[in-house]
Amino acid sequence: MNCQVDVLFFSLLRDLVGEERVALRFASPISGAELLDRLEVAYPRMAAYRPVTRLAVNLEYVDLDTLLSDGDEVALITPVSGG
Amino acid sequence: MSKKQSWCLLQDTPLSIEEALAFLQTPAAGGIDLFVGTTRQWTRGEETLRLEYEAYEPMALKEMERLAEAACARWPVERVCLLHRLGVVPISEASVLIGVATPHRADAFAACRFLIDQLKLTVPIWKREVYADGRTEWVQGGVSNSSE
Repeated sequence: MNCQVDVLFFSLLRDLVGEERVALRFASPISGAELLDRLEVAYPRMAAYRPVTRLAVNLEYVDLDTLLSDGDEVALITPVSGG
Repeated sequence: MSKKQSWCLLQDTPLSIEEALAFLQTPAAGGIDLFVGTTRQWTRGEETLRLEYEAYEPMALKEMERLAEAACARWPVERVCLLHRLGVVPISEASVLIGVATPHRADAFAACRFLIDQLKLTVPIWKREVYADGRTEWVQGGVSNSSE
């Protein structure tokens, strides 16, 4: 089963990746943690932010073991600094 | 929980304290607490020229609305607003307005403190410092309860 997700980058991760949004396709469903693993292969410098990166799926924070579904919008959220 | 009036907003233009206050004023309130976060020029000896904010806008609004609901569930809130400016915010200007109206002042202070502290932890908004020496730096907050 094909699974395609849109991955959104903000702030320093967007600067690091050089893109705001990347569409990724997988042969089978993967977890949030596996998504981060694969992104780190493509963008090795992202690994430094792994310990502080949270994931949001379709506008809600989720645990890293959450399985991603086809069509999900996944955002990588580094420590926020509003206010 | 009875339905309360809340107002959450992200905007690129200057925030209006007068508009926030007009929204918060209600006969049921005996106290209004309004927190105004502003751009500070000096931090640990470094001069800031301006701050630049960006947000994951749909999620930021959703989180702000969730926080407003949480405050209404915990305190007797009559009115609550969370307004955040995006883009460039010059020195001294407001980046955030958090307002709470309650029957008595202690609840207004407590709810307002809760809202600004939580906003800084969970709402996906980021700021970049633009320093006088030309450097820029994304601020990574949200990892502690510090009162910066």
